[in-house]
Amino acid sequence: MGCIFVPGIAVAYLLSRKEFVGKHVLSALATLPLVLPPTAVGYLLLKVFAERGLLGRETLGFDVGILLTGKAVIFACSVMAFPIFVRTAKLAFDEVEPRLEDMGKTLGMGGCRVFFSLSMPLASRGLVAAILLGFARSMGEFGATVIIAGNIPGKTQTLASAIFTAQQRGDDDSAATLLWVALIVGFAIVYTTERLSMRQASVGGSRK
Amino acid sequence: MSASPPIFDIDLKIPLQEFNLELAYSGSPRSLGLFGVSGSGKTTFLECLAGLRRREFGQVAFEGEPWLDSTKGIRIKSRYRNVGYVAQDHLLFPRRDVRSNLEAGKKRLLENGLNFEEVFRNVISILELETLLDRKVELLSGGERQRVALGRALCSGPRLLLLDEPLASLDTGLRLRILPYLMKVRDAFRIPMVVVSHNPLELQALCDEVLVVSRGRLIGKGSPDEVFSAAGVFELAKDGGFENVLTGTVLECNNRTDTVSIGETGGSVSIRVPTTGEEVGQRVFCSIASGDAILSVQEPAGLSARNCLQGKVEAIFDSGSSILSRVEVLEGGPAMIVELTQDAVDDLKLAIGSDVYIIFKTNSVRILV
Repeated sequence: MGCIFVPGIAVAYLLSRKEFVGKHVLSALATLPLVLPPTAVGYLLLKVFAERGLLGRETLGFDVGILLTGKAVIFACSVMAFPIFVRTAKLAFDEVEPRLEDMGKTLGMGGCRVFFSLSMPLASRGLVAAILLGFARSMGEFGATVIIAGNIPGKTQTLASAIFTAQQRGDDDSAATLLWVALIVGFAIVYTTERLSMRQASVGGSRK
Repeated sequence: MSASPPIFDIDLKIPLQEFNLELAYSGSPRSLGLFGVSGSGKTTFLECLAGLRRREFGQVAFEGEPWLDSTKGIRIKSRYRNVGYVAQDHLLFPRRDVRSNLEAGKKRLLENGLNFEEVFRNVISILELETLLDRKVELLSGGERQRVALGRALCSGPRLLLLDEPLASLDTGLRLRILPYLMKVRDAFRIPMVVVSHNPLELQALCDEVLVVSRGRLIGKGSPDEVFSAAGVFELAKDGGFENVLTGTVLECNNRTDTVSIGETGGSVSIRVPTTGEEVGQRVFCSIASGDAILSVQEPAGLSARNCLQGKVEAIFDSGSSILSRVEVLEGGPAMIVELTQDAVDDLKLAIGSDVYIIFKTNSVRILV
Protein backbone atom coordinates (compact mmCIF):
# COMPACT_ATOMS: atom_id res chain seq x y z
CA MET A 1 0.00 0.00 0.00
CA GLY A 2 2.92 2.28 0.73
CA CYS A 3 3.84 2.31 -2.96
CA ILE A 4 0.58 3.76 -4.13
CA PHE A 5 -0.16 6.11 -1.21
CA VAL A 6 1.81 9.11 -2.43
CA PRO A 7 1.08 8.90 -6.18
CA GLY A 8 -2.49 7.82 -5.42
CA ILE A 9 -3.14 10.78 -3.12
CA ALA A 10 -1.53 13.13 -5.64
CA VAL A 11 -3.68 11.89 -8.52
CA ALA A 12 -6.83 11.87 -6.36
CA TYR A 13 -6.28 15.45 -5.18
CA LEU A 14 -5.50 16.60 -8.71
CA LEU A 15 -8.68 15.01 -10.02
CA SER A 16 -10.77 16.39 -7.17
CA ARG A 17 -9.54 19.99 -7.19
CA LYS A 18 -7.88 21.05 -10.38
CA GLU A 19 -9.13 21.69 -13.86
CA PHE A 20 -6.55 20.89 -16.51
CA VAL A 21 -6.21 19.67 -20.06
CA GLY A 22 -6.27 15.89 -20.16
CA LYS A 23 -8.02 15.52 -16.82
CA HIS A 24 -10.43 12.99 -18.25
CA VAL A 25 -7.60 11.09 -19.88
CA LEU A 26 -5.78 10.88 -16.56
CA SER A 27 -8.99 9.85 -14.85
CA ALA A 28 -9.60 7.11 -17.42
CA LEU A 29 -6.02 5.84 -17.21
CA ALA A 30 -6.20 5.71 -13.42
CA THR A 31 -9.38 3.67 -13.67
CA LEU A 32 -8.27 1.36 -16.48
CA PRO A 33 -6.89 -1.50 -14.32
CA LEU A 34 -10.32 -1.74 -12.70
CA VAL A 35 -12.02 -2.75 -15.92
CA LEU A 36 -9.30 -4.63 -17.81
CA PRO A 37 -9.04 -8.36 -17.23
CA PRO A 38 -6.32 -8.73 -14.56
CA THR A 39 -4.50 -11.19 -16.82
CA ALA A 40 -4.35 -8.49 -19.51
CA VAL A 41 -2.74 -6.10 -17.05
CA GLY A 42 -0.36 -8.86 -15.99
CA TYR A 43 0.56 -9.57 -19.58
CA LEU A 44 1.13 -5.86 -20.24
CA LEU A 45 3.42 -5.62 -17.20
CA LEU A 46 5.24 -8.75 -18.31
CA LYS A 47 5.90 -7.13 -21.69
CA VAL A 48 7.11 -3.94 -20.00
CA PHE A 49 9.57 -5.75 -17.74
CA ALA A 50 10.59 -8.41 -20.27
CA GLU A 51 14.14 -8.52 -21.65
CA ARG A 52 13.32 -6.10 -24.49
CA GLY A 53 10.43 -4.29 -22.82
CA LEU A 54 10.18 -0.60 -21.92
CA LEU A 55 11.77 -1.24 -18.52
CA GLY A 56 13.64 -4.39 -19.51
CA ARG A 57 17.34 -5.12 -19.23
CA GLU A 58 18.18 -4.28 -22.85
CA THR A 59 16.48 -0.89 -22.78
CA LEU A 60 17.65 0.29 -19.34
CA GLY A 61 21.07 -1.35 -19.41
CA PHE A 62 20.49 -3.07 -16.07
CA ASP A 63 18.01 -5.54 -14.62
CA VAL A 64 15.31 -4.06 -12.37
CA GLY A 65 14.88 -7.62 -11.13
CA ILE A 66 11.17 -7.59 -10.60
CA LEU A 67 9.79 -10.56 -12.49
CA LEU A 68 9.03 -13.69 -10.45
CA THR A 69 10.03 -12.05 -7.15
CA GLY A 70 8.19 -10.69 -4.11
CA LYS A 71 8.57 -7.23 -5.63
CA ALA A 72 6.51 -8.36 -8.59
CA VAL A 73 3.68 -9.32 -6.23
CA ILE A 74 3.77 -5.87 -4.67
CA PHE A 75 3.95 -4.21 -8.04
CA ALA A 76 1.07 -6.17 -9.56
CA CYS A 77 -1.09 -5.61 -6.47
CA SER A 78 -0.26 -1.90 -6.47
CA VAL A 79 -1.28 -1.47 -10.08
CA MET A 80 -4.51 -3.38 -9.52
CA ALA A 81 -5.35 -1.52 -6.28
CA PHE A 82 -4.53 1.90 -7.71
CA PRO A 83 -7.96 2.63 -9.30
CA ILE A 84 -10.03 1.83 -6.23
CA PHE A 85 -7.61 3.73 -4.01
CA VAL A 86 -7.67 6.82 -6.26
CA ARG A 87 -11.44 6.77 -6.66
CA THR A 88 -12.09 6.46 -2.94
CA ALA A 89 -9.50 9.09 -2.07
CA LYS A 90 -10.94 11.44 -4.69
CA LEU A 91 -14.38 11.07 -3.09
CA ALA A 92 -12.80 11.88 0.28
CA PHE A 93 -11.31 15.09 -1.12
CA ASP A 94 -14.56 15.95 -2.88
CA GLU A 95 -16.27 15.95 0.51
CA VAL A 96 -13.91 18.60 1.86
CA GLU A 97 -15.36 22.07 1.35
CA PRO A 98 -12.95 23.86 -1.03
CA ARG A 99 -13.85 27.17 0.60
CA LEU A 100 -12.22 25.93 3.80
CA GLU A 101 -9.01 25.67 1.80
CA ASP A 102 -9.60 29.19 0.45
CA MET A 103 -10.02 30.36 4.01
CA GLY A 104 -6.66 28.83 4.85
CA LYS A 105 -5.08 30.78 1.99
CA THR A 106 -6.51 34.08 3.20
CA LEU A 107 -4.97 33.30 6.59
CA GLY A 108 -1.58 33.23 4.91
CA MET A 109 -1.14 29.47 4.45
CA GLY A 110 0.79 28.25 1.42
CA GLY A 111 -0.46 25.45 -0.81
CA CYS A 112 1.45 22.73 1.07
CA ARG A 113 0.29 23.92 4.45
CA VAL A 114 -3.30 24.10 3.28
CA PHE A 115 -2.99 20.55 1.97
CA PHE A 116 -1.29 19.00 4.99
CA SER A 117 -3.00 20.91 7.77
CA LEU A 118 -6.50 21.22 6.28
CA SER A 119 -7.29 18.99 3.30
CA MET A 120 -5.57 15.81 4.49
CA PRO A 121 -6.88 15.84 8.06
CA LEU A 122 -10.40 16.66 6.87
CA ALA A 123 -10.30 13.85 4.32
CA SER A 124 -8.56 11.46 6.72
CA ARG A 125 -11.47 9.07 7.27
CA GLY A 126 -12.02 8.70 3.56
CA LEU A 127 -8.29 8.22 3.04
CA VAL A 128 -8.21 5.42 5.60
CA ALA A 129 -11.13 3.85 3.75
CA ALA A 130 -9.15 4.19 0.51
CA ILE A 131 -6.16 2.40 2.06
CA LEU A 132 -8.34 -0.41 3.38
CA LEU A 133 -10.19 -0.87 0.11
CA GLY A 134 -6.92 -0.79 -1.80
CA PHE A 135 -5.57 -3.43 0.55
CA ALA A 136 -8.66 -5.55 0.10
CA ARG A 137 -8.34 -5.28 -3.65
CA SER A 138 -4.70 -6.42 -3.49
CA MET A 139 -5.69 -9.35 -1.32
CA GLY A 140 -8.06 -10.52 -4.01
CA GLU A 141 -5.55 -9.94 -6.79
CA PHE A 142 -4.77 -13.10 -8.76
CA GLY A 143 -4.51 -12.71 -12.53
CA ALA A 144 -1.83 -10.08 -12.85
CA THR A 145 0.20 -11.51 -9.96
CA VAL A 146 0.27 -15.00 -11.36
CA ILE A 147 1.53 -13.73 -14.68
CA ILE A 148 4.41 -11.54 -13.52
CA ALA A 149 5.23 -13.08 -10.14
CA GLY A 150 4.21 -16.65 -10.62
CA ASN A 151 2.88 -18.80 -7.81
CA ILE A 152 5.94 -19.88 -5.87
CA PRO A 153 5.02 -21.09 -2.36
CA GLY A 154 6.83 -19.13 0.35
CA LYS A 155 8.03 -16.59 -2.18
CA THR A 156 5.39 -15.18 -4.46
CA GLN A 157 2.34 -17.07 -3.37
CA THR A 158 -0.56 -14.87 -2.25
CA LEU A 159 -3.81 -15.69 -0.50
CA ALA A 160 -5.58 -15.82 -3.83
CA SER A 161 -3.05 -18.04 -5.51
CA ALA A 162 -2.78 -20.27 -2.43
CA ILE A 163 -6.51 -20.95 -2.57
CA PHE A 164 -6.18 -21.77 -6.26
CA THR A 165 -3.28 -24.15 -5.58
CA ALA A 166 -5.08 -25.87 -2.69
CA GLN A 167 -8.20 -26.35 -4.78
CA GLN A 168 -6.21 -27.71 -7.72
CA ARG A 169 -4.41 -30.14 -5.40
CA GLY A 170 -7.77 -31.24 -3.97
CA ASP A 171 -6.66 -30.04 -0.51
CA ASP A 172 -10.12 -29.00 0.68
CA ASP A 173 -9.08 -28.35 4.28
CA SER A 174 -6.42 -25.81 3.36
CA ALA A 175 -8.71 -24.20 0.80
CA ALA A 176 -11.51 -23.90 3.36
CA THR A 177 -9.20 -22.38 5.98
CA LEU A 178 -7.89 -19.84 3.48
CA LEU A 179 -11.45 -19.12 2.39
CA TRP A 180 -12.41 -18.24 5.96
CA VAL A 181 -9.43 -15.95 6.28
CA ALA A 182 -10.42 -14.19 3.05
CA LEU A 183 -14.04 -13.92 4.13
CA ILE A 184 -13.30 -12.50 7.57
CA VAL A 185 -10.64 -10.03 6.46
CA GLY A 186 -12.70 -8.96 3.45
CA PHE A 187 -15.85 -8.46 5.48
CA ALA A 188 -14.03 -6.53 8.20
CA ILE A 189 -12.49 -4.20 5.64
CA VAL A 190 -15.65 -3.49 3.68
CA TYR A 191 -17.66 -3.01 6.88
CA THR A 192 -15.09 -0.59 8.27
CA THR A 193 -14.91 1.43 5.07
CA GLU A 194 -18.69 1.71 4.92
CA ARG A 195 -18.70 3.11 8.45
CA LEU A 196 -15.87 5.50 7.62
CA SER A 197 -17.57 6.75 4.47
CA MET A 198 -20.75 7.42 6.39
CA ARG A 199 -18.95 9.55 8.91
CA GLN A 200 -16.87 11.25 6.26
CA ALA A 201 -20.07 12.46 4.60
CA SER A 202 -21.01 14.33 7.76
CA VAL A 203 -17.93 16.57 7.87
CA GLY A 204 -16.43 19.08 5.53
CA GLY A 205 -17.81 22.40 6.65
CA SER A 206 -21.29 23.78 6.65
CA ARG A 207 -22.92 24.16 3.28
CA LYS A 208 -25.45 26.67 2.23
CA MET B 1 5.43 65.43 -1.58
CA SER B 2 2.78 63.42 -3.26
CA ALA B 3 -0.46 62.71 -1.45
CA SER B 4 -0.72 59.23 0.00
CA PRO B 5 -2.64 56.84 -2.23
CA PRO B 6 -6.25 56.06 -1.40
CA ILE B 7 -6.91 53.00 0.73
CA PHE B 8 -9.11 51.53 -1.96
CA ASP B 9 -8.59 52.03 -5.66
CA ILE B 10 -10.86 49.64 -7.44
CA ASP B 11 -12.00 49.30 -11.01
CA LEU B 12 -13.36 45.82 -11.48
CA LYS B 13 -15.32 43.88 -14.01
CA ILE B 14 -16.37 40.42 -12.92
CA PRO B 15 -18.36 38.18 -15.24
CA LEU B 16 -21.15 36.49 -13.30
CA GLN B 17 -23.74 34.05 -14.56
CA GLU B 18 -26.47 36.52 -15.44
CA PHE B 19 -24.64 39.83 -15.64
CA ASN B 20 -21.27 41.45 -15.17
CA LEU B 21 -20.45 43.10 -11.89
CA GLU B 22 -18.85 46.43 -12.71
CA LEU B 23 -17.58 48.50 -9.89
CA ALA B 24 -15.27 51.48 -9.82
CA TYR B 25 -14.41 53.17 -6.57
CA SER B 26 -11.57 55.13 -5.11
CA GLY B 27 -11.51 56.47 -1.60
CA SER B 28 -10.21 56.14 1.92
CA PRO B 29 -13.10 55.44 4.26
CA ARG B 30 -12.24 53.72 7.51
CA SER B 31 -14.90 51.23 6.73
CA LEU B 32 -16.54 50.78 3.38
CA GLY B 33 -19.95 49.21 3.02
CA LEU B 34 -21.39 47.46 -0.01
CA PHE B 35 -25.13 47.19 -0.06
CA GLY B 36 -27.26 45.15 -2.41
CA VAL B 37 -30.00 42.57 -2.41
CA SER B 38 -29.11 38.85 -2.53
CA GLY B 39 -27.56 37.82 -5.82
CA SER B 40 -26.19 41.26 -6.64
CA GLY B 41 -22.61 40.01 -6.61
CA LYS B 42 -21.55 41.23 -3.17
CA THR B 43 -19.83 38.05 -2.05
CA THR B 44 -18.07 37.78 -5.40
CA PHE B 45 -16.71 41.28 -4.89
CA LEU B 46 -15.29 40.33 -1.48
CA GLU B 47 -13.77 37.16 -2.90
CA CYS B 48 -12.05 39.30 -5.53
CA LEU B 49 -10.59 41.51 -2.84
CA ALA B 50 -9.47 38.40 -0.96
CA GLY B 51 -7.85 37.05 -4.13
CA LEU B 52 -9.98 33.93 -4.24
CA ARG B 53 -11.31 34.29 -7.77
CA ARG B 54 -9.68 33.88 -11.11
CA ARG B 55 -11.87 35.38 -13.75
CA GLU B 56 -12.01 39.06 -12.96
CA PHE B 57 -10.72 41.98 -15.00
CA GLY B 58 -9.55 45.42 -14.07
CA GLN B 59 -7.47 46.87 -11.30
CA VAL B 60 -7.46 46.63 -7.54
CA ALA B 61 -4.97 48.54 -5.44
CA PHE B 62 -4.95 48.63 -1.67
CA GLU B 63 -3.05 51.47 0.01
CA GLY B 64 -1.24 52.00 -3.28
CA GLU B 65 -0.15 48.38 -3.55
CA PRO B 66 -1.41 46.72 -6.73
CA TRP B 67 -3.29 43.51 -5.97
CA LEU B 68 -4.75 42.99 -9.38
CA ASP B 69 -4.04 44.48 -12.75
CA SER B 70 -5.37 42.26 -15.49
CA THR B 71 -3.74 44.35 -18.23
CA LYS B 72 -0.29 43.83 -16.71
CA GLY B 73 -0.96 40.29 -15.57
CA ILE B 74 -0.59 41.19 -11.89
CA ARG B 75 -2.53 38.99 -9.50
CA ILE B 76 -1.22 38.86 -5.97
CA LYS B 77 -2.01 35.53 -4.33
CA SER B 78 -4.50 35.43 -1.54
CA ARG B 79 -1.94 34.43 1.05
CA TYR B 80 0.18 37.50 0.38
CA ARG B 81 -2.66 40.01 0.53
CA ASN B 82 -2.89 40.00 4.31
CA VAL B 83 -6.63 40.14 4.50
CA GLY B 84 -8.85 38.83 7.25
CA TYR B 85 -11.86 37.31 5.54
CA VAL B 86 -14.94 36.49 7.57
CA ALA B 87 -17.31 34.43 5.45
CA GLN B 88 -21.04 34.46 5.87
CA ASP B 89 -21.11 30.82 6.89
CA HIS B 90 -18.02 31.36 9.08
CA LEU B 91 -16.06 28.42 7.61
CA LEU B 92 -14.45 27.47 10.89
CA PHE B 93 -12.07 24.55 10.57
CA PRO B 94 -14.08 21.51 11.67
CA ARG B 95 -13.00 18.97 14.28
CA ARG B 96 -10.77 21.53 15.93
CA ASP B 97 -11.20 23.60 19.03
CA VAL B 98 -11.58 27.35 19.11
CA ARG B 99 -7.98 27.95 20.12
CA SER B 100 -6.66 26.00 17.16
CA ASN B 101 -8.93 27.97 14.83
CA LEU B 102 -7.71 31.25 16.28
CA GLU B 103 -4.12 30.14 15.81
CA ALA B 104 -4.57 29.21 12.14
CA GLY B 105 -3.10 32.50 10.94
CA LYS B 106 -0.45 32.75 13.64
CA LYS B 107 2.45 32.18 11.25
CA ARG B 108 1.56 35.18 9.13
CA LEU B 109 0.99 37.39 12.13
CA LEU B 110 4.49 36.55 13.33
CA GLU B 111 5.89 37.16 9.85
CA ASN B 112 4.30 40.60 9.97
CA GLY B 113 6.39 41.30 13.06
CA LEU B 114 3.51 41.37 15.52
CA ASN B 115 3.36 39.82 18.95
CA PHE B 116 0.93 36.93 18.78
CA GLU B 117 0.29 36.68 22.52
CA GLU B 118 -0.58 40.35 22.71
CA VAL B 119 -3.00 40.25 19.76
CA PHE B 120 -4.48 36.95 20.94
CA ARG B 121 -5.17 38.31 24.45
CA ASN B 122 -6.64 41.45 22.98
CA VAL B 123 -8.90 39.53 20.59
CA ILE B 124 -10.23 37.09 23.18
CA SER B 125 -10.93 39.88 25.62
CA ILE B 126 -12.74 42.09 23.09
CA LEU B 127 -14.71 39.22 21.58
CA GLU B 128 -15.18 37.50 24.96
CA LEU B 129 -13.84 34.17 23.76
CA GLU B 130 -11.97 33.16 26.93
CA THR B 131 -14.50 30.56 28.03
CA LEU B 132 -14.81 29.06 24.55
CA LEU B 133 -11.13 28.41 23.85
CA ASP B 134 -11.16 24.66 24.45
CA ARG B 135 -14.52 23.99 22.89
CA LYS B 136 -14.85 22.14 19.59
CA VAL B 137 -16.28 24.39 16.90
CA GLU B 138 -19.12 21.95 16.22
CA LEU B 139 -20.49 22.75 19.66
CA LEU B 140 -20.68 26.52 19.17
CA SER B 141 -23.86 28.53 18.68
CA GLY B 142 -24.30 30.84 15.68
CA GLY B 143 -23.23 33.96 17.52
CA GLU B 144 -20.21 32.21 19.00
CA ARG B 145 -19.16 30.93 15.61
CA GLN B 146 -19.36 34.45 14.23
CA ARG B 147 -17.15 35.76 17.02
CA VAL B 148 -14.62 32.97 16.52
CA ALA B 149 -14.50 33.58 12.76
CA LEU B 150 -13.90 37.26 13.43
CA GLY B 151 -11.27 36.43 16.02
CA ARG B 152 -9.50 34.03 13.68
CA ALA B 153 -9.28 36.74 11.02
CA LEU B 154 -7.93 39.27 13.54
CA CYS B 155 -5.36 36.80 14.86
CA SER B 156 -3.74 36.55 11.42
CA GLY B 157 -2.43 40.12 11.47
CA PRO B 158 -4.60 41.45 8.63
CA ARG B 159 -4.25 44.86 6.97
CA LEU B 160 -7.83 44.74 5.77
CA LEU B 161 -10.90 43.06 7.20
CA LEU B 162 -13.53 41.68 4.84
CA LEU B 163 -16.88 40.91 6.41
CA ASP B 164 -19.48 39.06 4.37
CA GLU B 165 -22.98 39.60 5.75
CA PRO B 166 -21.65 39.54 9.29
CA LEU B 167 -25.11 39.35 10.84
CA ALA B 168 -27.17 37.58 8.19
CA SER B 169 -26.85 34.08 9.59
CA LEU B 170 -28.06 35.20 13.01
CA ASP B 171 -31.59 35.80 14.21
CA THR B 172 -32.72 39.30 15.05
CA GLY B 173 -32.07 39.14 18.77
CA LEU B 174 -28.55 37.89 18.24
CA ARG B 175 -27.81 40.49 15.59
CA LEU B 176 -28.09 43.24 18.10
CA ARG B 177 -25.77 41.30 20.38
CA ILE B 178 -23.08 40.76 17.71
CA LEU B 179 -23.20 44.27 16.25
CA PRO B 180 -21.49 45.77 19.32
CA TYR B 181 -18.60 43.33 18.88
CA LEU B 182 -18.16 44.48 15.30
CA MET B 183 -18.18 48.09 16.39
CA LYS B 184 -15.66 47.36 19.13
CA VAL B 185 -13.42 45.59 16.63
CA ARG B 186 -13.65 48.55 14.26
CA ASP B 187 -12.72 50.99 17.00
CA ALA B 188 -10.10 48.90 18.79
CA PHE B 189 -8.11 47.47 15.90
CA ARG B 190 -8.36 50.37 13.47
CA ILE B 191 -8.01 48.09 10.47
CA PRO B 192 -9.77 49.23 7.28
CA MET B 193 -12.92 47.21 6.76
CA VAL B 194 -15.15 46.25 3.87
CA VAL B 195 -18.58 45.09 4.96
CA VAL B 196 -21.11 43.69 2.51
CA SER B 197 -24.69 43.29 3.54
CA HIS B 198 -28.29 43.40 2.46
CA ASN B 199 -29.22 44.92 5.80
CA PRO B 200 -28.90 48.73 5.95
CA LEU B 201 -28.74 48.80 9.73
CA GLU B 202 -25.35 47.14 10.09
CA LEU B 203 -23.87 49.27 7.32
CA GLN B 204 -25.24 52.41 8.93
CA ALA B 205 -23.79 51.41 12.25
CA LEU B 206 -20.41 50.31 10.91
CA CYS B 207 -19.53 52.21 7.75
CA ASP B 208 -18.40 55.71 6.81
CA GLU B 209 -19.20 55.23 3.18
CA VAL B 210 -21.59 52.89 1.43
CA LEU B 211 -21.73 51.71 -2.18
CA VAL B 212 -24.98 50.34 -3.53
CA VAL B 213 -25.01 47.72 -6.25
CA SER B 214 -27.97 46.42 -8.13
CA ARG B 215 -27.69 43.82 -10.88
CA GLY B 216 -23.98 44.35 -11.12
CA ARG B 217 -24.02 48.14 -11.32
CA LEU B 218 -23.11 50.82 -8.87
CA ILE B 219 -26.28 52.83 -8.32
CA GLY B 220 -25.41 54.83 -5.24
CA LYS B 221 -22.47 56.05 -3.24
CA GLY B 222 -22.16 58.24 -0.18
CA SER B 223 -22.51 58.37 3.57
CA PRO B 224 -24.95 55.77 4.94
CA ASP B 225 -27.81 58.14 5.69
CA GLU B 226 -27.50 59.84 2.30
CA VAL B 227 -27.38 56.55 0.48
CA PHE B 228 -30.20 54.76 2.22
CA SER B 229 -32.64 57.61 1.94
CA ALA B 230 -31.98 58.07 -1.77
CA ALA B 231 -34.70 57.13 -4.20
CA GLY B 232 -34.20 53.65 -5.59
CA VAL B 233 -31.97 52.55 -2.76
CA PHE B 234 -34.65 53.03 -0.15
CA GLU B 235 -36.82 50.63 -2.09
CA LEU B 236 -34.10 47.97 -2.01
CA ALA B 237 -33.53 48.58 1.66
CA LYS B 238 -37.18 48.78 2.56
CA ASP B 239 -37.47 45.23 3.84
CA GLY B 240 -35.20 46.06 6.68
CA GLY B 241 -36.83 49.50 6.97
CA PHE B 242 -34.80 52.63 7.10
CA GLU B 243 -33.28 53.13 10.50
CA ASN B 244 -31.95 56.43 11.73
CA VAL B 245 -28.79 55.37 13.51
CA LEU B 246 -27.74 57.96 16.09
CA THR B 247 -24.58 58.20 18.12
CA GLY B 248 -24.94 59.63 21.58
CA THR B 249 -23.58 59.92 25.08
CA VAL B 250 -25.50 58.85 28.16
CA LEU B 251 -26.37 62.00 30.12
CA GLU B 252 -28.54 60.65 32.85
CA CYS B 253 -29.80 57.27 34.01
CA ASN B 254 -33.31 57.18 35.38
CA ASN B 255 -35.21 54.21 36.58
CA ARG B 256 -36.56 52.76 33.38
CA THR B 257 -35.26 55.23 30.86
CA ASP B 258 -32.01 56.99 30.09
CA THR B 259 -31.37 60.40 28.65
CA VAL B 260 -28.92 60.41 25.81
CA SER B 261 -27.33 63.44 24.24
CA ILE B 262 -27.19 63.05 20.48
CA GLY B 263 -24.99 64.81 18.00
CA GLU B 264 -21.21 64.63 17.95
CA THR B 265 -20.51 67.92 19.67
CA GLY B 266 -22.29 66.99 22.86
CA GLY B 267 -24.81 69.76 22.19
CA SER B 268 -28.02 70.36 24.01
CA VAL B 269 -30.13 67.95 21.95
CA SER B 270 -31.08 64.94 23.99
CA ILE B 271 -33.58 62.14 23.75
CA ARG B 272 -35.24 59.71 26.12
CA VAL B 273 -34.43 56.10 25.38
CA PRO B 274 -35.13 52.76 27.06
CA THR B 275 -32.50 51.94 29.66
CA THR B 276 -29.14 51.35 27.97
CA GLY B 277 -27.39 49.57 30.79
CA GLU B 278 -24.45 51.91 30.29
CA GLU B 279 -23.05 54.41 32.73
CA VAL B 280 -23.25 58.17 32.42
CA GLY B 281 -20.70 59.43 29.90
CA GLN B 282 -20.63 56.21 27.86
CA ARG B 283 -21.10 56.29 24.10
CA VAL B 284 -24.17 54.50 22.80
CA PHE B 285 -25.68 53.80 19.41
CA CYS B 286 -29.39 53.79 19.00
CA SER B 287 -31.77 53.61 16.09
CA ILE B 288 -35.23 54.88 15.26
CA ALA B 289 -37.11 53.43 12.31
CA SER B 290 -38.13 56.09 9.80
CA GLY B 291 -41.71 54.84 10.05
CA ASP B 292 -41.80 55.20 13.83
CA ALA B 293 -41.35 58.98 13.90
CA ILE B 294 -43.96 61.59 13.03
CA LEU B 295 -43.74 65.26 12.08
CA SER B 296 -45.75 68.15 13.42
CA VAL B 297 -45.70 71.72 12.15
CA GLN B 298 -46.79 73.10 15.53
CA GLU B 299 -45.23 72.55 18.89
CA PRO B 300 -47.18 69.61 20.24
CA ALA B 301 -48.58 69.57 23.76
CA GLY B 302 -49.97 66.85 25.97
CA LEU B 303 -48.38 63.97 24.11
CA SER B 304 -47.32 60.76 25.76
CA ALA B 305 -44.36 60.49 23.39
CA ARG B 306 -41.30 61.68 25.28
CA ASN B 307 -39.20 62.83 22.40
CA CYS B 308 -39.88 66.00 20.48
CA LEU B 309 -37.01 67.53 18.53
CA GLN B 310 -37.19 70.82 16.73
CA GLY B 311 -35.87 70.77 13.18
CA LYS B 312 -35.97 72.11 9.69
CA VAL B 313 -36.96 70.14 6.59
CA GLU B 314 -33.92 69.82 4.45
CA ALA B 315 -35.28 67.68 1.66
CA ILE B 316 -38.45 65.92 0.61
CA PHE B 317 -38.33 63.23 -1.97
CA ASP B 318 -40.36 60.45 -3.42
CA SER B 319 -38.65 57.12 -2.94
CA GLY B 320 -41.25 55.17 -4.85
CA SER B 321 -43.77 53.81 -2.38
CA SER B 322 -43.51 56.60 0.17
CA ILE B 323 -42.34 60.14 0.68
CA LEU B 324 -39.23 60.63 2.72
CA SER B 325 -38.47 63.81 4.49
CA ARG B 326 -35.00 64.58 5.63
CA VAL B 327 -35.04 66.82 8.66
CA GLU B 328 -32.03 68.59 10.12
CA VAL B 329 -32.47 68.69 13.88
CA LEU B 330 -31.68 72.17 15.20
CA GLU B 331 -28.93 73.08 17.66
CA GLY B 332 -26.36 70.75 16.18
CA GLY B 333 -28.48 67.62 16.17
CA PRO B 334 -28.22 64.97 13.46
CA ALA B 335 -30.29 64.69 10.32
CA MET B 336 -33.15 62.24 10.54
CA ILE B 337 -35.31 60.59 7.91
CA VAL B 338 -39.04 60.46 8.52
CA GLU B 339 -41.38 58.47 6.30
CA LEU B 340 -44.57 60.30 5.28
CA THR B 341 -47.48 59.92 2.91
CA GLN B 342 -48.14 62.34 0.08
CA ASP B 343 -51.41 63.35 1.82
CA ALA B 344 -49.54 64.37 4.95
CA VAL B 345 -47.06 66.41 2.94
CA ASP B 346 -49.95 68.19 1.16
CA ASP B 347 -52.04 68.83 4.28
CA LEU B 348 -49.16 70.15 6.36
CA LYS B 349 -47.84 72.11 3.36
CA LEU B 350 -44.41 70.72 4.04
CA ALA B 351 -41.64 72.18 1.94
CA ILE B 352 -37.92 72.54 2.14
CA GLY B 353 -37.16 74.93 4.97
CA SER B 354 -40.38 74.24 6.91
CA ASP B 355 -40.00 74.33 10.68
CA VAL B 356 -41.16 71.03 12.12
CA TYR B 357 -41.07 68.91 15.27
CA ILE B 358 -40.00 65.28 15.07
CA ILE B 359 -41.88 63.17 17.58
CA PHE B 360 -41.19 59.61 18.64
CA LYS B 361 -41.78 57.43 21.67
CA THR B 362 -39.08 56.33 24.07
CA ASN B 363 -39.81 52.73 23.19
CA SER B 364 -39.39 53.39 19.47
CA VAL B 365 -35.71 53.86 20.14
CA ARG B 366 -33.67 50.69 19.86
CA ILE B 367 -30.39 50.56 21.68
CA LEU B 368 -27.72 48.98 19.49
CA VAL B 369 -24.79 49.30 21.85
